[in-house]
Amino acid sequence: MSTETGRESRRSGALVSVMRWMENLSDTQYAYLLLIPVFVLLGIVALYPLLRTFELSLFKLSADFSSTTFVGAGNYIELFTGEKNRFLPGGTTFLPDGFSMSAMLNSALVVTVIFAVVSVLFETLIGLGQALILDQDFYGRRWIRAAIIIPWAVPIVIQGMIFFLMFNANVGFLTPPLADLGLLAPTNTLNDTASATFIIIVADIWKTSAFMALLILAGLQSIDRGLYDVAKVAGATKWQQFKLITFPLILPTIGVAVLFRSVQAMRVYGIIDTVSSCTVVPSLSCMVVATFTTREGTSAAIAFVTAAIIGAVVMGLIVWQGEDAI
Amino acid sequence: MATPTDTQEQPSDGPLQRWTQSAIQDPEKVYRALFYAAMVFFLVTTLFPFYWLVVLAVTPEGRLLSGSFLPTVDLFGVSGTFPLPVPKGFNPGAFVTVFEQVPFHLYMLNSFALAVTTTVIVLFVASLAGYVFGRLRFPGRALLMLGILAISYFPPAAFVIPLFQAFAGNAPITVPFTSIPLFTPPRLLNTPGSMVLPFSALFMPLSIFILTTFYGQIPDGLEDAARVEGTTRLGALFRVIMPLSAPGVATAAVLTFIAVYNEYFFSSIMATSPEAAKWSPIVGGILSYQTQYTTQFNLMAAASIVGVLPVVILVIVAQERIVSGLTSGALKE
Repeated sequence: MSTETGRESRRSGALVSVMRWMENLSDTQYAYLLLIPVFVLLGIVALYPLLRTFELSLFKLSADFSSTTFVGAGNYIELFTGEKNRFLPGGTTFLPDGFSMSAMLNSALVVTVIFAVVSVLFETLIGLGQALILDQDFYGRRWIRAAIIIPWAVPIVIQGMIFFLMFNANVGFLTPPLADLGLLAPTNTLNDTASATFIIIVADIWKTSAFMALLILAGLQSIDRGLYDVAKVAGATKWQQFKLITFPLILPTIGVAVLFRSVQAMRVYGIIDTVSSCTVVPSLSCMVVATFTTREGTSAAIAFVTAAIIGAVVMGLIVWQGEDAI
Repeated sequence: MATPTDTQEQPSDGPLQRWTQSAIQDPEKVYRALFYAAMVFFLVTTLFPFYWLVVLAVTPEGRLLSGSFLPTVDLFGVSGTFPLPVPKGFNPGAFVTVFEQVPFHLYMLNSFALAVTTTVIVLFVASLAGYVFGRLRFPGRALLMLGILAISYFPPAAFVIPLFQAFAGNAPITVPFTSIPLFTPPRLLNTPGSMVLPFSALFMPLSIFILTTFYGQIPDGLEDAARVEGTTRLGALFRVIMPLSAPGVATAAVLTFIAVYNEYFFSSIMATSPEAAKWSPIVGGILSYQTQYTTQFNLMAAASIVGVLPVVILVIVAQERIVSGLTSGALKE
């Protein structure tokens, strides 16, 4: 009995001393102590892989796959000169090997940039429309808002399945009417690069416009309502109110949202994998996944180029926004 | 007979003309009409894909490939194509078959387990970080936040190669740019660990920013009062600040859960084959319908409906939290 209580008090004694040690830390020491779990997690899952990816991209696999040799920037040079294209799946290339439409759409870099620019442009326009609607007060607003948010919460694999089923050669009912308009290839739609890219962009716009809408809505709701009263007294029409008050005031919000979304759009992979395939619609992430088990150096070089492009965009954002970016 | 009134009424006054007339008098009416038209347009475009899933799911398998989903209607002698797809027959049995062909419930259970585990880890770690960034002033604070922000911007593709190699557990991890071995990691592929670790790191930054905002708003006096009462520093965080910021914690939890449930990249790579026993989440379940039962489109649709229900319910129940989280936290990012 007495030994047990003795151990009990000894254990709590250790706990007490740890607590006392923590109480006596300065604010800075305490802050860094609490941040240790964050550092450990991000160190293992983000920082180490990032450095290691860069290291791998500097090595080349020997012809018999048994050893690696240091080639410095060799992988990057071969990537940009087109010598690596033979390792990429299904005749896709990294940079376009010509200026024709099909050569452009065969290039992972061009497809990724086209996807990011077009989808983000339409998401911004549609998101702005949705935000302007959600900013009004009307009966049933709660339900309309839920309906508009739902696509954002749909798992990527199900989003892909929905659009796969809509344009599938056997059951997809949307292919014939859109093919009549000349937007899609009438047969083999999901294996046609231009058509599949179009469908994937539409799928992304469907899912992510709501996210844009919510970001823009936050900007709208921070506008001082008094400004609209003044405008009304001055006799401004609704259009003038939008052009002269609403739009200039939400422009910074839209700018941040656009850059934030562009960075996310550059990662596109899952929707391509479900709706079509990486050989039909090449994206940068696709190329990494397709080559990483066989061609480590090539894969790592593509991954690092992707990260570098995104890093450049983010640095631009931070320089442009300064302290407000945080 | 009737004396003409002094306001000249048009004799052939159709409802459209009357509306146009009154709209010219009162432009406000046009804005309202535009508003409702836009609202209906957005509702139809966002909800139509789900309607299409329902149409496919209830169509009996035998009739999936015969005929069109757009029926021809005969309206007053003019035949035209009905613009909306309608089911060809009614067979709700697909919603039962979907669990029999492939153990879809097990995939969903895997998704739930991964999402809940990640959410718990993220909430704990992000709470500590949110407390530090929201309530303490110390050198390096802005730089550290910037670093966490920058990491959250990197594409998962930049992390996947070394992580896959490490989780395969074949070779020891070495210090980057040297060949000094550190330790050989256990084989984590096809276990929850290989997915929970990347998910936690990937989705933690958003939670950190949300919790920083919420924890920073709690008045200092409340924390001081708790400390005077004899609570430890950590106790003050978990017993005073966290409960007072319950809405913020709920927001971070809901957003993390949805993000993990929706994730594709690591879910499809770290579970090396789409089998429920190998911890493959719904990504594997849905894809196995696409690759193994290539003509059973009704089952693909039914599986998608079942898979999407949890998040639809979550959005309807917790939409206030989602909106406030995305607007307060994401805008900070």
